[in-house]
Amino acid sequence: MFRPERMARAVIAGPRDKLPSVIETLHEMKLIHIIDHHGEDETFRIGKPLPPAAELAESLVKLRSVGSILAVKVPPGERATVQLDEVREKIQSLELNITEEDAARKKAESLVGELERRIEELRPFASLGLPLETYRGYESLAVLVGRIQREPELPPGLPSEAFQAPGIIAVFVPKTESERALAALSRAGFTQLDIPAGEGEPQSLLDSATADREKWKGRLKEIQGRLDKLRERFAGFVVSAEEALEVEVEKAEAPLRFAVSEHSFVVDGWVPAVQFRGLQKRLSEMRIYAEAAEAGEYHQSEDPPVLLNNPPPARPFEMLIHLYSTPSYHELDPTLFILVAFPFFFGFMIGDAGYGGVFLTFGLLAFWKLPRESDFRKLLLIIALGGFWALVFGLLVFGEAFGMAFHLPPGMPAEELSWNQFGIQYPLQPLIHKTLSLGEMFYLSILFGTIHLGTSYAFGFANELRHSKKHALAKIGWFMCLFGIFTILTGTLAWTRVGGWVWNTALGWFPRIPEPFGLGNVLHIGIPLVSLVLIFGAFLGLVESPVAPLEIGGLLANLLSYLRLAGIGIAKATIAGTFNSLIFHSFIIEHDVLIAVVGFVLLFFAQVLVFLLGGVSAGIQAIRLNYVESFTKFYKGNGTMFRPFGTKKPQEA
Amino acid sequence: MSDVFAALSAAITMTGTGIATAWAEKVVGGATVGAMAEKPELFVRGLVLMVIPETIILFGVLIAFLLLNHVG
Repeated sequence: MFRPERMARAVIAGPRDKLPSVIETLHEMKLIHIIDHHGEDETFRIGKPLPPAAELAESLVKLRSVGSILAVKVPPGERATVQLDEVREKIQSLELNITEEDAARKKAESLVGELERRIEELRPFASLGLPLETYRGYESLAVLVGRIQREPELPPGLPSEAFQAPGIIAVFVPKTESERALAALSRAGFTQLDIPAGEGEPQSLLDSATADREKWKGRLKEIQGRLDKLRERFAGFVVSAEEALEVEVEKAEAPLRFAVSEHSFVVDGWVPAVQFRGLQKRLSEMRIYAEAAEAGEYHQSEDPPVLLNNPPPARPFEMLIHLYSTPSYHELDPTLFILVAFPFFFGFMIGDAGYGGVFLTFGLLAFWKLPRESDFRKLLLIIALGGFWALVFGLLVFGEAFGMAFHLPPGMPAEELSWNQFGIQYPLQPLIHKTLSLGEMFYLSILFGTIHLGTSYAFGFANELRHSKKHALAKIGWFMCLFGIFTILTGTLAWTRVGGWVWNTALGWFPRIPEPFGLGNVLHIGIPLVSLVLIFGAFLGLVESPVAPLEIGGLLANLLSYLRLAGIGIAKATIAGTFNSLIFHSFIIEHDVLIAVVGFVLLFFAQVLVFLLGGVSAGIQAIRLNYVESFTKFYKGNGTMFRPFGTKKPQEA
Repeated sequence: MSDVFAALSAAITMTGTGIATAWAEKVVGGATVGAMAEKPELFVRGLVLMVIPETIILFGVLIAFLLLNHVG
C-alpha cells in the first residue's frame, strides 16, 4: 500500500527468427517495461524494424491526413471492425476520394476569398457611379479617390472637379496641384483607395462579382456536405484503423528498442516481480530464455519504473500524486496520506451539509455514469469524498446547510436567517459557529496543520531511515521543533474550547515550567521551557545542512499557512450567508409572488456561484497544503511511471 | 481612541497584505501562463508557485485578528 509494486529486472533472449512471435506475446501480456538498448555493443546492435513497418507507417501517415481533412475529432460511438489486410487498400481509395474533394474545397475557398476582396474594392466605386476607366490614363491630371470622415473644404481657386457619395470622394486635379488638394483632403480624414482593375460600370462589376461569390459559396457548401457525409460514413473506420495501425506500427518498430545480433536478440526491461513467473512460463513454452532478479531495496543507482499499488478506492487519488510527480521506487507512496488529508481539508473548508451533499451527489453520478478511465470521473470522486467530509462537518460541527445555520446562535444580528425560522427543526446544536468563533476555527486549523506536518515528518523519517540515518535524525529534530511550536500556540490559544481541551487534557502531561529568559514577556505569551528546548531540536537539522536552524521561521510560516483552512471556511460561509439574507429580505420574505419568483431565481444563481467559488478555492487550497507545506517535508518524486509494452497510456499491468 | 487606531491598523494590514498578495500572484501567474504555453506539463509546478504568496494575506488576517482583539 505504502510501497509501489516490487519490480524485477528481466532479460529475455532467443533466436532472431522468433522475434516476431516474442513481440506478439509481450505485446499481448502487457507486462514488460522495456529499457531501450542504445547499441553501444559490438555484437549486439539496435535491431531493425520488422519488414511491414515501412508500409504500416506510410498507411498510418495517410490515414492521419485523411482524419485531419475529415476533421474526425472525438471517437465516434460506433467503432468499425478493422481487417488489417484490407486497411491499406481502403485507406488508398478513401485518400483518393478525399484528396479530390479537399482540393476542390481549397480552390472554392480561395475563390470565395478573392471575390470577397474584389467586392470590398468595388463597393465604394459603385456608389460614386463613374466607369472605372475614367479614373485612369491622364497625363496631366491626378485622381484622388478615398474615404473621408467629414465634408472636405477644397481651397478656393483650386482647379478641380469632385464627385462625392456618402463617406467617399473622387477628386480630379492637375498634377501640379495634387499636393495642395491632398493636404486639404487630409484635414477631412482622407484615406486613399486603390483603383480596382478592370473597365466598365463598377455597379455591374460589383453585381457580377457578388453573383459569382454566391455561386462559389453554394459549391463550397456542396463540397462540405459531401465531406460531412464521408466523415459520417468513415469516422468509425478512421478511428479504429488508426488505433489498429498504431498497435501494429508499435509492434513492428519494437526491435529498435532491443539488442539484436546476427542470430539472436535480447530484450531488457522491468516486470512486476509477482508476475514474472507467468511471463517466464509462457516464453519457455516458445523455447525463449527469460531470467529476472528483483530490484534491490537499497540500490539507489537502479531506478525501476513505478507501478503504484493501492486498494481500488484509493486509486483516483493516484492522479493527484502523478500530477505532482511520480514517486521514486525507493520512497513511500503518499496516495493514502493524500486520500485522508485532501478530502478532510476540503470538507473542513466547505463545512456545509448542503454543498457537501451536492458534491457527494455529483461524485456518485460520476461513479455510475462516467467511463472508468476518465480523469474527470477521478476528479469528481476525489471531490465527492471531500463532499462527504463537508457533509459531516456541516451536520455535526458547524450546523449549517447552503450557508444558513440550522439554529441561530445568540448574539447574531436580527437579519440573519436560520433553517428553524422556516420550520425545519434539526435536532443537533452546532458545536462551532464559523463566523462567531474565530478563535476555535484558527485553533482547529493549527491543530490539523500540526497533525498533517507531523505525519509528513514521520513519512520523511521512514523514507530517510533506509538511506541515511543522519537525515532521519534531522526529521526527528524537525518533528520536535514542530511539537514545540504547537505547544506554545496551544498554550496561547488555551482560551478556546478545543485549545483548552488539548492543553489541559490531551497535553495534561506536558511540563509547563516557564522559560527563565524573559522571552515570553517580550512576546506577551507564556513560553514553557520544554517547548523552547523542543524548538531547539531543529538544530539536529545541522547534520543535513548548516543553515537548517534558519528554517525554524519557515516551519512556523508553514504551520500558520494552515490558517487558510479557517480563512476560506469563514469567507465562504459569510458570502453565502450575505447572499441568503440579502435575497430573502429584499425579494422573498413579505413580498408578492412575482417578486418572490425573481428572488428564488436570484437565490439559485447566488448559491451556484458560492458553490463553484467554494469548490474551486477549497480544492486549490487543500491541494496546495499537501503539495507545498507537506510534500516538501518528505516527498522527492521524479520516478518513472511503469509503461508496459503494449499499452499506449501508462496503466496497471 | 486606541480602538479607532487598532481598527484602522487592522484595515491597513488587510489592505496592504491583500495588495501585496495580488501583486505577487500577478507576477507569478503571468510568468506561469507564459511558461505553460511552452510546456503545459508545468501546470502543477506553476499552480504551486502561484498560490505561495497567499500566505502573505493569511499573516495579514492573523495580525488583523490580533489587532481586533484590542477593539472593545
